[in-house]
Amino acid sequence: MAASSIAAAPAAVFSHRPWWRSRTTLVAAIVAVMVICHLTLSRTLTWPNSLVWHSLTHYLDNMQNWLAAEGDKTHPSIVYRVIHGISSALDALVRWLYHLLSKWLTWPATTVLGGLLSLRFGGRRAAAIMVASFAAFATLGLWDESMQTLALMLVAVALSLLVGVPLGVLAGRSDRFERMITPVLDAMQIVPAFAYLMPVVIFFSVGPAAAVITTMVYSVPPAVRITSLGIRSVPANTVEAATAIGSTGRQLLWKVQLPLARRLLLLSVNQTILFALSMVVIAGLINTEGGLGAPVTNGLNSNPALAILAGAAIVVMAIALDRVTEAIAERTDPARRHLDVAGRKRARVATVAALAAIAVTAALGHAFSAGAAYSRWTAQDWLLARVQSVLDYVQKPTTFLFNEITNPLGTFLVAHLLQPLDTFLVETPWFVTLAGLTAIAFILSGIRPAATTALMFALIGAIGEWRDAMDTFSQVLVATAIAVVLGIVLGVLAAESNRVSRVVRPINDILQTLPQLVYVIPFVYVFPISYVPGLIASVLYAFPVVVRLVERGVRDVAPPAVEAAGAFGATRLQVLVKVKIPLARDAIMLGINQGLIMVLAVVVIAGLVGSGALGYAVAAGLQRGQFGIGVVASIAILAMGIALDRVTRGNRGTAKGGQG
Amino acid sequence: MRKRLWGRPARLIVAAAALAGLAVLVAGTATARTTAAKANCGTVTLNEQAWTGSTANTYVAKYVLEKYLGCKVKVTDIAEIPVYQAMAQGKVDAVLEDWQHVAQYKQYATKQKSVVLEGSNGLTGHIGWFIPRYLLKKYPSFKTWKGLKGHESVFASPEAPQGMFLGGDPSYEQKDTQLIQALGLKLKHVTVGAETAEVARFSQLIAQKKPVIMYWWTPEYRNAEFDLVEVKLPARMKSCQDDGTVKAPLKDFRCAYSSYPLEKVFSSKFVKSGSPAVAVLKRFKWPSNSDQNLVSSWIAGEHMDAQKAAEKYVKSHMSAVNKWLGK
Repeated sequence: MAASSIAAAPAAVFSHRPWWRSRTTLVAAIVAVMVICHLTLSRTLTWPNSLVWHSLTHYLDNMQNWLAAEGDKTHPSIVYRVIHGISSALDALVRWLYHLLSKWLTWPATTVLGGLLSLRFGGRRAAAIMVASFAAFATLGLWDESMQTLALMLVAVALSLLVGVPLGVLAGRSDRFERMITPVLDAMQIVPAFAYLMPVVIFFSVGPAAAVITTMVYSVPPAVRITSLGIRSVPANTVEAATAIGSTGRQLLWKVQLPLARRLLLLSVNQTILFALSMVVIAGLINTEGGLGAPVTNGLNSNPALAILAGAAIVVMAIALDRVTEAIAERTDPARRHLDVAGRKRARVATVAALAAIAVTAALGHAFSAGAAYSRWTAQDWLLARVQSVLDYVQKPTTFLFNEITNPLGTFLVAHLLQPLDTFLVETPWFVTLAGLTAIAFILSGIRPAATTALMFALIGAIGEWRDAMDTFSQVLVATAIAVVLGIVLGVLAAESNRVSRVVRPINDILQTLPQLVYVIPFVYVFPISYVPGLIASVLYAFPVVVRLVERGVRDVAPPAVEAAGAFGATRLQVLVKVKIPLARDAIMLGINQGLIMVLAVVVIAGLVGSGALGYAVAAGLQRGQFGIGVVASIAILAMGIALDRVTRGNRGTAKGGQG
Repeated sequence: MRKRLWGRPARLIVAAAALAGLAVLVAGTATARTTAAKANCGTVTLNEQAWTGSTANTYVAKYVLEKYLGCKVKVTDIAEIPVYQAMAQGKVDAVLEDWQHVAQYKQYATKQKSVVLEGSNGLTGHIGWFIPRYLLKKYPSFKTWKGLKGHESVFASPEAPQGMFLGGDPSYEQKDTQLIQALGLKLKHVTVGAETAEVARFSQLIAQKKPVIMYWWTPEYRNAEFDLVEVKLPARMKSCQDDGTVKAPLKDFRCAYSSYPLEKVFSSKFVKSGSPAVAVLKRFKWPSNSDQNLVSSWIAGEHMDAQKAAEKYVKSHMSAVNKWLGK
């Protein structure tokens, strides 16, 4: 059955194939064989129990207990003492920054500091955005929480860039290093934070340090990946020219590669900020100063409207930090900045004036005892009431929305798409599924990805997660398909029209940073069927990344190609479909690949709103103190991620040297 | 080429590392000193867990400690399991409602002795199978599990046409998959996820007066609002097992969940600190489940500020509060 397709496959690699040998046909044939096996063979052929390593969870539990006991000894080993030192230093740094922003400066001076700093380095628009964000924290009545989170995030983002950008430069310059670090980055992004919260707590205790480390695990990978992409996208001929005129390696890096990779470096700062801010709630679970994470976690149960306001504050902070850093980077762009002597003098005077203004405001703040946190008039109650009325509408099962749209739609999706696919993957005999997936991987990407796929799915079986993994796998496939289609459509539109781009970008920012549980719980009310809210959460989190990458890819298509097509009289649509999209193929493939990783990154959240399976197991692992169960489920998610990543990566590896 | 690349940055890195090392050392010695200074009452850190009942405990205790002992109370929001590590290290002083984390009791209280179990907070926790009362009108037999037999399809849902059992939050102890199997019922166990998701799901069904059977518990302020009744499960026996992740013969799961006191857990460092707050928190006890439900319903039902709800409760229940204060 599946074996025959493998034999037929090598021919499929050649580009000119008759239709019956095209990839689509072959994949369809394999799926058909799998369906026939599913219908004819017994439903009880699940992964055999004798092929499961049962004691793994037990060993993992023991390991965790041992680590905890070692760390809590009165005289722990040197490793722990070094880690404890780092931990206290980070704690102290974040607390110092928080005290600076609250007690020492008082709230008026903090606002002035943010505004003037942005004005001095980023210009008027940046200053306006910064002041507006502070005003938003005040209006939402969440000033103190916001300052706690701001202090934490400033440290986490700075450290992520400090670690991530140099690693990205190394990865961009050395293929071997890139190959070495990529699986690590995949693991950092895919393994759910819930699985490593306890180990982080064992090493770094609870507090700001633990929160910074947890955040960094998630926000370092984009910094490395995009920096590396930036270094690699510097045209090869420019690098050659620089080498030919005798540049040293250092000159090449600082004078050629980094300046030319500037735009992608900026994107890496942007993504690092957004990824970091998306961790506020989870990092808050192990922080003594929960900041904005606390009202979200507690609010979900006792006051969902408050959780939404806190989520809004997180989004405001993310967008403000992003836009201000962007403005600063643009202002300080050496290509545009040519200051004369008078200009420099003016700048220096402005700096001194700004510092003086901050000092004066702080002094006045203390004199009039303005207080560390803003605590006067807020619109919190008014906003809570408004949000609550929306929630009340959403929660009523008698509305038009519920009866005519969401409920039937959700039921239809589950009955005709999710449930059948789920049953198919869970109940098809395991060896058929394994062989079928391997064959599909082979046809799509070749022998090595196929071997990886076989190995990874066998690993999933061996750790006893076959059933749950198939359940999750079916949902991941559906979510990724929807996210990719949505992402490519919006990405292409955004690349073609600046107006669409301007609308889509803030939506992307919101969806990447608003804590998922905040907006997914209302979906549980309108789509009260398990799977659907989780599917929505996955799609909403994954498609922004696809949009960003596709938009950039299509925009970056070399102008000569577009002009040439135009000269031949191609219409705009023809240029798009025949020139731009094929030339942006690499970026689109990267978009699909990253979309998948994003879907896998929210498997736990999906599990918390009804998708069950692996995500549910990971959450149970942390919260019921069953470390082993959580880790084993995370390994299954990771194995699935590695397999899917290798298959969807396609020929990205050969595209180095970049689009120029 | 490679060598030159590392020239200046190398020196910089060494300098940065030296600075970082110094900072680590300074910070290390600084933390050693801060733990000693806990004069009189000082600051007490209470951890609020992610459910409303816990918010009620924490803020009522906070109000009492601040108002009558002059303590400064800090509220943290650390997750249920990591908070044990926090208490072991003295970063959190007390948790006022713990639902029998037996494995943690073993590791932290018995083995390490870094936390102390301080007994009940006055509430009795009980997990069970619950249905809305209106169902009993049509199906009076649903009072016990035996009456469910043959009627499973009453609970049909899109994802479980044979009848759906709504499973609980992953963080709570449960054995419903095994229990359903052991009782020979044809229900399908559906995991709806976190507590809020479960509430969302069943409150929609209840609002439509549809049938639902689910994993739920008392005390919980919403039980009165939803008018839930418990389905009677087989009596408990000696070998009774409540944790579905434990490997045990199926028949050991064939019994009702136990009822147990909700435990107060203190950090050993806090107990030894000599703070007057210790004695008060040791005596902290709700007169009954309905007291906590009352405060919870103010906080979550009426969205009253937790501080104000605590104040309102304390002012109207001085006799209970006086007991905690040892008067």
